[in-house]
Amino acid sequence: MSAGVEFRNVVKRYGATTAVAGVSFAVASGTLTTLLGPSGCGKTTVLRMIAGLEAASEGAILIDNEDVTALSATERDVSMVFQSYALFPHMSVLDNVCYGLRRSGVDKTTAATSAQEALQQVGLDGFAQRQPSELSGGQQQRVAVARALVLRPSVMLFDEPLSNLDARLRRQMREEIRELQQRLGLTVVYVTHDQQEALAVSDRIIVMNRGRIEQDGAPRDLYERPATAFVANFMGESNRLRGAARRLDETRVAVTLGDSEIVVTGTIAADGETDIAVRPETVTIDPAPGPAGSLPGRVVKATYVGTHMEYTVETAAGALFAICPRVDRPLAAGHAVALSLAPRGILVVGG
Amino acid sequence: MSRATPTRAVAAWALIGLAGFVLLPWYAQQEGVLAFDWIGGLWSHADSASGLALIAAHNRWWLAPLLPVLLASLAVGFVGGTRRQRGTTLVWLAGIGLAIFWLQALSIGLRGWNAEWLTLTLGEVGGRQVGIGIGATLVLLSLLGLLSLGLAQRGAFGGDAFVAGAMVTVVASIVLFTAWPVLRILLQAFNSSDGTFAPALLLDRLSTAKIWSLRCLTGDGRCGVAWNTLFLALCCGAGTTMLGLAFALIVTRTGFRMKRTLRVLTVLPIITPPFVIGLGLILVFGRSGVVNQALDAWFGIAPTRWIYGFQGVFLAQLFAFTPVAFLVLIGVVEGVSPTLEEASQTLRADRWDTFRTVSLPLMKPGLANAFLVGFIESIADFGNPIVLGGDYGVLSTEIYFAVVGAQLDYGRAAALALLLLAFALGAFFLQRRLVGTRSYATISGKGDSGLPTPMPAGLRRLAQWIALPWAGFTALLYGFVLVGGFVKIWGRDHTPTLQHYAKAFAVESGPNGLIWTGAAWGSFWTTVKLAAIAAPLTALLGLLAAWLLVRQRFVGRSTLEFATMLSFAVPGTVIGVAYVFTFNVPPLEITGTALILVLCFVFRNMPVGVRAGMASMSQIDRSLDEASATLRGRAWQTLAHVVLPLMRPAMVAALVYGFVRAVTTVSAVVFLVTAEYELATTFIVLRVINGDYGLAIAYSCALILLMLAAILLIQLLVGQRRLGRRAAPAPIAARAGA
Ligand SMILES: Nc1ncnc2c1ncn2[C@@H]1O[C@H](COP(=O)(O)OP(=O)(O)O)[C@@H](O)[C@H]1O
Ligand SMILES: [Mg+2]
Repeated sequence: MSAGVEFRNVVKRYGATTAVAGVSFAVASGTLTTLLGPSGCGKTTVLRMIAGLEAASEGAILIDNEDVTALSATERDVSMVFQSYALFPHMSVLDNVCYGLRRSGVDKTTAATSAQEALQQVGLDGFAQRQPSELSGGQQQRVAVARALVLRPSVMLFDEPLSNLDARLRRQMREEIRELQQRLGLTVVYVTHDQQEALAVSDRIIVMNRGRIEQDGAPRDLYERPATAFVANFMGESNRLRGAARRLDETRVAVTLGDSEIVVTGTIAADGETDIAVRPETVTIDPAPGPAGSLPGRVVKATYVGTHMEYTVETAAGALFAICPRVDRPLAAGHAVALSLAPRGILVVGG
Repeated sequence: MSRATPTRAVAAWALIGLAGFVLLPWYAQQEGVLAFDWIGGLWSHADSASGLALIAAHNRWWLAPLLPVLLASLAVGFVGGTRRQRGTTLVWLAGIGLAIFWLQALSIGLRGWNAEWLTLTLGEVGGRQVGIGIGATLVLLSLLGLLSLGLAQRGAFGGDAFVAGAMVTVVASIVLFTAWPVLRILLQAFNSSDGTFAPALLLDRLSTAKIWSLRCLTGDGRCGVAWNTLFLALCCGAGTTMLGLAFALIVTRTGFRMKRTLRVLTVLPIITPPFVIGLGLILVFGRSGVVNQALDAWFGIAPTRWIYGFQGVFLAQLFAFTPVAFLVLIGVVEGVSPTLEEASQTLRADRWDTFRTVSLPLMKPGLANAFLVGFIESIADFGNPIVLGGDYGVLSTEIYFAVVGAQLDYGRAAALALLLLAFALGAFFLQRRLVGTRSYATISGKGDSGLPTPMPAGLRRLAQWIALPWAGFTALLYGFVLVGGFVKIWGRDHTPTLQHYAKAFAVESGPNGLIWTGAAWGSFWTTVKLAAIAAPLTALLGLLAAWLLVRQRFVGRSTLEFATMLSFAVPGTVIGVAYVFTFNVPPLEITGTALILVLCFVFRNMPVGVRAGMASMSQIDRSLDEASATLRGRAWQTLAHVVLPLMRPAMVAALVYGFVRAVTTVSAVVFLVTAEYELATTFIVLRVINGDYGLAIAYSCALILLMLAAILLIQLLVGQRRLGRRAAPAPIAARAGA
């Protein structure tokens, strides 16, 4: 039932602007792949091209290894959950969910049975007769999912499905979507601009920037081994520093920050100054200036945010933003500290 | 899946065309096709022969190429090839077929070749052609259907045959029933009466003193109709704008309590035939009107015909078009942001300064727009000038007399129409530029919590002094019209009577049921029937066009939008002349039929449907359409199940407008009515011109009642949009970025 999706050098132009500038990727059947990137980078456009709502200007789109580039949205076996849900406001929940089945010629009672089943799957059993306007945001979202689900499409698309929900509901819904996808073995392409959401739900993430694919890989790879500064920055908060890097072998690089040299995994083209990203949560702050190999510094700003402390520390290598889980003994501004950097939190990203 | 495959659709359309070509008479039938008297002569008689018979037995060689075109199209339905290849072939075939169809239809007419040079170069054609009949019509439809399928298969319009078909329908009908007739009549301005091209004639026709004379300024004669038209329109534009502004200010900026009553005023002219106001004025100021009678009785002043002329027409137009200006200006006045006015007041400006330096400048574009609307309404008006104009001729009446009177001079009518069209389009373009560059718009999505500043006292009093007596007088006019229907002879014998209503609407019961003996019944039923046929067609075509314009992406979208709006700016008189001239001769010989009246109604009023549809459709989030598409809904299913149900108000508006305007229009149809198909308005106008006021009044009142009933009925039938009380999901635009 599920099928893979493949893009081959797909370009989308709107007059003079190029929204998608030559994108190739393959989504494996039965997986959840996320398109991640800042606003305006072309995620929605890619998604709409999979759905057939936009025609590609160049390139080929394959679903289930069949070229569907020339097919319209109606003719593709793809369903979409819209950012605004796009529930038909003049139809009941049941009619909304039945809509696709009825259009494909399924008779009324069969359609209603399938629709009830789909509603059950998203946990909305008792709501069939309501109007969409009588539902909360989260419930509307589930109706939209059920409406797409009921057609058993080979590919399901989600365009920022959670952006209209509050933070708590967002977390719950994303878990439900992920759970549903795994239970039914759906192929899902999911668009979001929220890296946490992407990390939480995806089998694979495709990071986009300015109409191009920046990097494509498993969530952990992207977070821990970003290929570019853009990805490092986008996948999580990071400090951007310049530092000297020396190639040790195929996979290891020695990075010099201030006085200390740290060996990290990574590759560089040549020895010399390079861009280095440091994840704030991997910086350990020691209140006593100290151990060898640590980076001395001075706290310039300390902020209490409930679950942890956030510090800005001035060091020889530059200002570093660090997160410290210890909230019981906060350090005041002006305090001299020693920073130890865990190798896994140091990313060599520039050439 | 239950859908017809594209190839089957191709075969079906081709077969329809072939059936029309082989089994049905090609030309129009004298007795109508439903008389079926043509069956016997389908092969043998040239008049009733089918297309095939015409080629084979009647020497109409020019029809021959259509047969292979249709056969080849049928073949396309059965051969292989890619979708795209088939599409291209079909587009070519249909294009060639349409070209041949029109070429022969336009060049061979009642007397053989239509143009002399064709006879000279090609010799006698050896046959004549009357208008196209059912057979030819089917062939034409089939070619258009094949063209749509071809375009869709080539991938145009998202490959959707329904969208392509809708597109072809809309474009073909606008070309056929608006662009073509208007161009025909305009070209006629360059032709001599026997059809030869003589551009110098246009200069002659346009440079007569009757059009351009300025002698009224020097006091020795009348001015030309062009000046009359322009002067009247300027006065009307200025007057209606001023009155409209006064009303708008009172309604929005004072605590005036009878706002609802004033709003009713805006509905009245929509459901009133345009000359009813003129009629009311005659009852007040005419020779036997109350004013003259009173002057005569009290002061012995002999009754005058004072009301007939500029004064009368001007007054009537002021009454008739002020509500339109009011509607335009109420939006403008409400659009001035109260916050700006409050800001002005915190900057030490008093109310009057604020009005003068902030509010009024902000309203300027809106005022100019209202002025142009009044201007355009005035030059297009026919009903009031014909009833009240007297010696004061304007272009629309002059065109009428050029065609209807003893003159029957289409060349002159065409030249005058050209002039009228030039005025109308000039004003139209000016207005579009104004509205298009409305950079002052102060309505925004942001909440504006300011309170409208009350008007300065002097201004308020002025507005009230202008507007309230005027409103009272309007009510009085309608009152007189109402009463006028119930007295014996207005001005002379005021005994109450029902005789006018009896004369118009008497019903007797005869041996075989009711006999409609009243004088008005004939035209009344014709009007109701034709308007009832036209209204749904108007709404359908208008909404279809709106849907294409708002929801489909295609090249030439803005051109199509412009064309539909443009046809609205063409004055009714011009359309009327154009229709009677163009459809008087083959190939579309429909003058004198009910069909031409229906077509005229539909294409005159369609732009209203387009506007209403576009406005309401752009409020429906596009992602609803897209959701339907990803849920396997075809374009027509999306239209039927999602878009239309959400557009009920627009449908009501289009239906009401289509019906009401069909009933009330005079200018266009005055050229098209016949004894057989007389319409209510033209019937009444003739009564008024003959001084038979009682009957005219009774009939007008009945019409107003009819339209109120129709509006209620349509509201009831189509009903309101059924949405839950809470708004639809947060209206985030479909393209909102991350
Ligand atoms: N219909 C359109 N016409 C012109 N430009 C468009 C259109 N749709 C999107 N774009 C442009 O394409 C780019 C990518 O848009 P989109 O795919 O919506 O971004 P995202 O979903 O990543 O925020 C943007 O720069 C946007 O302005
Ligand atoms: Mg987007």
